[in-house]
Amino acid sequence: MSAEVEELLKRFQSMKNVTGIVVVDNDGIPIKTTLDYTLTLHYAALMQTVREKARQVVLDLDATNEFTFLRLRTEQNEVMLCPQEDYFIMVIQSPCD
Amino acid sequence: MSKIYLKAMEDVVQRNTDNTNRITEQAQGFVVSENAGDSLLHTSFDLTTAQSIVKHLHASFLKLAQSCVRDLDTDDKLCFLRVKTRKHEFLVSPEEAFTVTVVL
Repeated sequence: MSAEVEELLKRFQSMKNVTGIVVVDNDGIPIKTTLDYTLTLHYAALMQTVREKARQVVLDLDATNEFTFLRLRTEQNEVMLCPQEDYFIMVIQSPCD
Repeated sequence: MSKIYLKAMEDVVQRNTDNTNRITEQAQGFVVSENAGDSLLHTSFDLTTAQSIVKHLHASFLKLAQSCVRDLDTDDKLCFLRVKTRKHEFLVSPEEAFTVTVVL
């Protein structure tokens, strides 16, 4: 990861409502996290599955299209997932309507 | 599907014509599907496109997302889902009995 990404993560961290940031590589291994270890592993494994499935679904719908971002809104949390070449970034925040 | 059910569906579509017209002004289209059998209920797309959205997004990806949310916290529930791609954005709203997807 470059210094630019590090800077970006620091900016995300300081934002209001952000409760956690996790960076996961393509094998589902967390590289960087602000959550505790158990929760990080849980999120990383599950969101890795979601990311792979999302990429597959978007390709199935249109072979020339490409999955770029995912936002999962639940009752208590909001998970945002941004895939990159070698890893993906996950930001978890409290939803504010 | 029974005739009574189809009739009820037609009534709902009639009552929501204003809403669906407003959606199609802003978006490329929408798809509504039933949760129980993942069957297509109402759409502004052609049948092929709508069926593929129901099959891939509703029956497959949405179920996976819901089960992941349930795995993370058993008290939590998926309210809304936005999948942004290079060309479109899919807004998926799962409800009790049906699921609405709007494509921007």
